[in-house]
Amino acid sequence: MAASSLGRRTAMLFGIVKTFSLQRPVLPIISRCGSLFQIATYNPKPLRLNIKDPYIPNKEKEDTPHWQKTDKFDRKLFGRYGSISGVDPVKLWPSPEKLEKLIAEEQEWQPTLEVMLQNIAAKEMEREKKVKAREKLIATNMAKMPKMIEDWRRETRALKMKKREEKARKERLVAEARERFGYALDPRSPKFQEMVQEIEKEEKKKKKLLKSRMKQGDTAPAAPRT
Amino acid sequence: MSASKTTGGKAIDILRNLPRISLANLRPNPGARKTERRRGRGAHGGNKSGRGHKGERQRGNRPRLGFEGGQTPFYLAIPKYGYNEGHSLRPQYQPLSLRRLQYLIDLGRVDTSQPIDLTQLVNGRGVTVQPLKRDYGVHLVEEGADIFSAKINIEVQRATEGAVAAIERNGGVITTGFYDFRSLTILCKPVPFFLSGQPIPKRMLPGEDMVRYYTGAENRGYLSDPEEVERARQELAQKYGYVLPDISKDELFHMLSMRKDCRQIFFGLAPGWVVNMAERKILKPTDEKLLRYYGS
Repeated sequence: MAASSLGRRTAMLFGIVKTFSLQRPVLPIISRCGSLFQIATYNPKPLRLNIKDPYIPNKEKEDTPHWQKTDKFDRKLFGRYGSISGVDPVKLWPSPEKLEKLIAEEQEWQPTLEVMLQNIAAKEMEREKKVKAREKLIATNMAKMPKMIEDWRRETRALKMKKREEKARKERLVAEARERFGYALDPRSPKFQEMVQEIEKEEKKKKKLLKSRMKQGDTAPAAPRT
Repeated sequence: MSASKTTGGKAIDILRNLPRISLANLRPNPGARKTERRRGRGAHGGNKSGRGHKGERQRGNRPRLGFEGGQTPFYLAIPKYGYNEGHSLRPQYQPLSLRRLQYLIDLGRVDTSQPIDLTQLVNGRGVTVQPLKRDYGVHLVEEGADIFSAKINIEVQRATEGAVAAIERNGGVITTGFYDFRSLTILCKPVPFFLSGQPIPKRMLPGEDMVRYYTGAENRGYLSDPEEVERARQELAQKYGYVLPDISKDELFHMLSMRKDCRQIFFGLAPGWVVNMAERKILKPTDEKLLRYYGS
């Protein structure tokens, strides 16, 4: 199916393998239903391992650079040349001390899946708790709201009434002063304030009289009735 | 190529009688090669040689890029904002569309009779992953889901819901797996790693921010419960409106059910083994401590 669409250039780039060949490193496929699929094997860069003429440094010599005497270089030698490099394969794996360190590091820095899931669950719970607490707080405050609104409204109304009354009282006093003294008297002057005090005294007396009358009135009507 | 045989015959006879082709007989098509204009060589390449008239332009003293003659330049006038803050800590995933995957399968660059891995994709030059640039793998995307028709066992690092649906609709299997930086480098370039002579390391588990993704069945995570995955498959089939094909009755069931262990990087190779390319041998450790370490 792909053969017709493949141009010659692609065929040259990839070597098209039509049959099962065992020499090639990439596996070609044959579908079970019988028809052959083409797969493209590519020519990988030749792996020039240089096994015929390897450079294996002499460890005893002082001339060889220090990095050619390290374990890491030995591993690379083994990787490139295999057993002819003369490297003991045991050195490829970490030494017991190194292994201990690796295990300790893993214990410390790489928690197991269970631990991680637990941590995640704990964090999730914390977040949920916070969210719930906040929502609860909001709910309680919202429940208080109607009463608070009522109170506030009442207070503002009371304040307004008070202000209005104050204003009216002031107007009355100014008018009273105007009547008494015959001219527009400044409310801040001492005369005005004396007048205000006099008015207040008279008011108090009137109240007292009223009170005493109320008391007498309470008791008196009882007697004359009978 | 002409249709009639006689004209073709004449041409080849003529060709036989012509002299040998050499550099002396060859010439490019008219208009194919245009001579370049060399500066400083008279007429229209010369005079001011394309430098302009006087000033900084001709004298090569232009100010630096971005300078606007003293006005606060654009790159300084715009206030800083942390758009790119922490960009080097953000995981990136190379997108792979289903369209591209189908293209690769059609051209035979990716083998569908074996599980498809990031190594196979890189070998077929389907994607280019750069672990050093904070790439954490490949993201399967549903562009081309309508033309996708291949039964594959694919393992990617992230996948969208539509891509998962498209693959499962065709009877395939998709898994998402996490590879840390070292494992990803080894996965993308296995041969240089084998040449270094190191034992295959264990794949690390994902960090806490990614554990949730890879334990979720909707994402077909490699750490998730198989039963949940089965349920998620059914749900997805219902959601996208297709009949979920039964994989267990498939002839390629064994291949489709191949899955990597959570610590395994390559199919068929366990952590701790040393692969030697020179002698085509695999060396396995025998020390029990090492075995315990690599087996945990």
